[in-house]
Amino acid sequence: MSQFGVPTETPPRRVDELISSELMAKLNQVDVFSKKIFAGKLQGERRSKKRGQSVEFADYRHYTHGDDLRFVDWNIFARLDKLFIKMFLEEEDLSLVIAIDSSKSMHWGNPSKFIYAQKLAMALGYIGLVNQNRVSLFSFNSGGLLPLTNLRGGRRVQEMGAWLLKLEAEGGSGFDDAMRSISMTRQGKGVMLILSDFLFKEGYEKGLRYLAGGGYDTFCMQLLSPEEIDPGAAGLQGDLRLTDIEDDDVAEVTVSGALLKKYKDNLNAYCGKLREFCVRRGMMHMTIDSKTDLNVLLMDYLRKRGLLR
Amino acid sequence: MTWLTPLTGLILAAAVIPPLVLLYFLKLRRRTQKIACTILWQRSIEDLQANAPFQKLRRNILLLLQLLALILLALSVMQPQVRAGDLTGGKTIFLIDHSASMNATDTADGRPRLEHAKDLLRERIEARYSRGLLGGDPGESMIIAFSDRAEIVARFTSSRQQLLRAVDRIQPTHGETKIEQALELARAYTTNIVDEMGEARPTGEPADLELYSDGQIADLNRQVLRGETLIYHAFGSDAPDNVAIAAMSVERPFARPTFIEVFASLVNFNENPVTCDVQVSVDGTALGIRTIEIPAGRFDEAADLFIPGRNNVVFAPFEQPRGAVIEVANLRSDDLGLDNVAQLSIPPAKRLEVALVAPKSFVIRSALEGMPLERLDVLTARQFDELVEHQQTDRYDVIVLDSHVPETMPNGRYLVFGDAPPVDGLNAYGEGGRQLILNVRDEHPAMRYVDLNNLIIQSFTALQPDDDVRILAEGSAGPAIVAVDRSGLNMIYVTNDVLDSNWPMLTSFITFVFNAVEHLGHIGESLVSESLRPGEALTARLPAGAQDIELTLPTGRSERLTPPDPTQMSWGPIRLTGPHVLSWTDAARGERETRAHAVNLFSETEGNLRVVEELSFGEDRIAGRRAGDGRYTALWPYALLLCLMLLMIEWWVYHRKMTI
Repeated sequence: MSQFGVPTETPPRRVDELISSELMAKLNQVDVFSKKIFAGKLQGERRSKKRGQSVEFADYRHYTHGDDLRFVDWNIFARLDKLFIKMFLEEEDLSLVIAIDSSKSMHWGNPSKFIYAQKLAMALGYIGLVNQNRVSLFSFNSGGLLPLTNLRGGRRVQEMGAWLLKLEAEGGSGFDDAMRSISMTRQGKGVMLILSDFLFKEGYEKGLRYLAGGGYDTFCMQLLSPEEIDPGAAGLQGDLRLTDIEDDDVAEVTVSGALLKKYKDNLNAYCGKLREFCVRRGMMHMTIDSKTDLNVLLMDYLRKRGLLR
Repeated sequence: MTWLTPLTGLILAAAVIPPLVLLYFLKLRRRTQKIACTILWQRSIEDLQANAPFQKLRRNILLLLQLLALILLALSVMQPQVRAGDLTGGKTIFLIDHSASMNATDTADGRPRLEHAKDLLRERIEARYSRGLLGGDPGESMIIAFSDRAEIVARFTSSRQQLLRAVDRIQPTHGETKIEQALELARAYTTNIVDEMGEARPTGEPADLELYSDGQIADLNRQVLRGETLIYHAFGSDAPDNVAIAAMSVERPFARPTFIEVFASLVNFNENPVTCDVQVSVDGTALGIRTIEIPAGRFDEAADLFIPGRNNVVFAPFEQPRGAVIEVANLRSDDLGLDNVAQLSIPPAKRLEVALVAPKSFVIRSALEGMPLERLDVLTARQFDELVEHQQTDRYDVIVLDSHVPETMPNGRYLVFGDAPPVDGLNAYGEGGRQLILNVRDEHPAMRYVDLNNLIIQSFTALQPDDDVRILAEGSAGPAIVAVDRSGLNMIYVTNDVLDSNWPMLTSFITFVFNAVEHLGHIGESLVSESLRPGEALTARLPAGAQDIELTLPTGRSERLTPPDPTQMSWGPIRLTGPHVLSWTDAARGERETRAHAVNLFSETEGNLRVVEELSFGEDRIAGRRAGDGRYTALWPYALLLCLMLLMIEWWVYHRKMTI
């Protein structure tokens, strides 16, 4: 008989355990979408709001000193005797940053939030890589920040997978420091995905503020296990001494209907407050049950929320 | 519902329940459960604690079940009972004791024990016959009231009204408690088989007996139960207060026959010494009070008997020549009033039979005729001499000699006028002349209220009396009246002929004759005063011609009696203590006469108000139920069963909760 909240599934040991070939095939059809078009270091496969070098014509403008003469429309000059510059929509690469909370509390619940985060990060990273986006991964906990930056192209999938497999959930969250570091080491603009349960005793506000206004299109993906969403239904009952697996903090409870209702109210309020915090700062927030099928999440939910297309 | 041992249960509950709740509060045995983050739980607990201080206990089914089980356990220890009514049906005989001790007022509300017994009996009857349609057949009941004798108050009936009316009719008596007759009566109505041993056996189911008493039953040690079931309802407190007059007697001192001396014996049934004021009164008029201390009673373990403390009181003799009711009263109030008073009736003065011998004139005869005598015979000297000769002078109480001098003076009581009788010690020596009376010994009964100041005597017989002759009146010339009291001979001798004086003209003459005849007639008369006891019969020998005979009871009620033969009249049984006064009209004289008969309790069995908690009928020991107890159904087994069931449910819930 399994103990309440203790993960029973075996942690993935191979890359194909993180992402199946069927899922890979499906993910080939989708791409990460940003409502903004970002300028990247290299020409990527997406349009940028910046007018630039591309095959797709956008507009004309008057020539000014210093403009590249290669883009002067000589036909118009011949007819109008004025110099006009042809402007094209520029295609840019997308910087996709995935931050994984690898604190000890993530490896809890059935299915484990951490394993779910590994698989989700693998899938999203795969999408980024195959779409020639610049993919950076960060794992953070109280032990510090573990980066894997600047991956591009499908051949880096194995490398990314190996990195993900090496991650272990341990220690506290270290969220504030991690966010500060990520925002400081940011290169360009892009989409940032934070995979965490956001249950930080020190609060998430300070950490998220580092990311606000930094040019990232930030998605806070709050992973919660079924035991956290509805502990009563998951079988929590009796007189318990609840111990925090990160800091051994204790809460003595006698599980009752009233307490469970109060817990759910508190959870909803917590998530609602996080969502409001995110929306106010132009971030996206979504709560994901760790028992949600990854296929459904990626091919359905995330498409509907506009992260993938 | 009543509780047999409420205190034990409360102590158990107080000892067990608070610690259980405290344990739940302080150290709830909790399983450690690791979770990802306690932040949300902490907030939830804080919220709930703010809302309800006892949230830990709320909806805690285990604690609730355990508390319930403990409460039920405590309740079962308290031994709850509910009155179950008479569930048996069949025949029930209620035996209610209405003896003297049931008059004791040692109850919570001060009403007599008998009233409480009657209340309970009414309750029992109501419970038995008011059970509605579903109550089944309640059976028949009979009521027997008993004290020194038993009487059926209600025959077997199932009519509630009849039974209740019968209970109302039960009146207190002052008799002793004897249960034998009651049991015999009960058996007479329920048995009709006599076995080979001569013992009556009940036919079919023997009746259920219910005894309402205080257990002080005089003849209990002779009784056995013959298969009957008996429920004993005991009435009275554990420490009643009673001091009783156990005996009383009235005697006349030999030397002073008109005086009486009163003795009383008091017993103390309390376990501490008491001081009592004891009052003696004559015909309702108090004459004196004595204070006595009576030692405490004690329980003799070896004999298994309570021995009351005892002391006697003797009142100083006082004069009471006439018949009267002498009453001794213990003025200390206690729980039983009727043994605080004892009475004795002194018989009325005996009517004298008087002979007047050879009267010289009508003077003495007239005086005697004015007296309430039984008989006055006027004898000639010859007749008197014949009486002397045949030694029949004792046929008369007093013989009055008017100047007749017999040859010898046989023993007897004489009032002699004139010539000196032939009695040694008088020493008559001639005739004296005129004289007046100088000195009168008015302490002598014959001289009481006799004023001789105006008496003038013309001539008298001069005496030189010996020392043993008492001079009652000393004249100026010699003794005028002397008294001789010797063994068998009592005589008052007036030395002059009444016609030789002016005495017949004076009232003192009538007084003197009356006093002298009464005094002589009652000399040596012992005071026989018998006391009757409740339950006995009052017997009296009235004159043959007694008419309109009435008996006045101590309650003041009069009862007209018509005995076939007044000379052998009897009435009974006596129910109450106190004076029973017989009055009748003597047809011969046409006068109304009375005679009082005293009835006293004088029973230590009844005076001992201690409730007997357990009655022994031979080998059967019947524990008494205290007043107010009924036939109860014990509820503790049900409470215990429920407690066990709750524990099983608790065990099941516990295991369910432990399984995650």
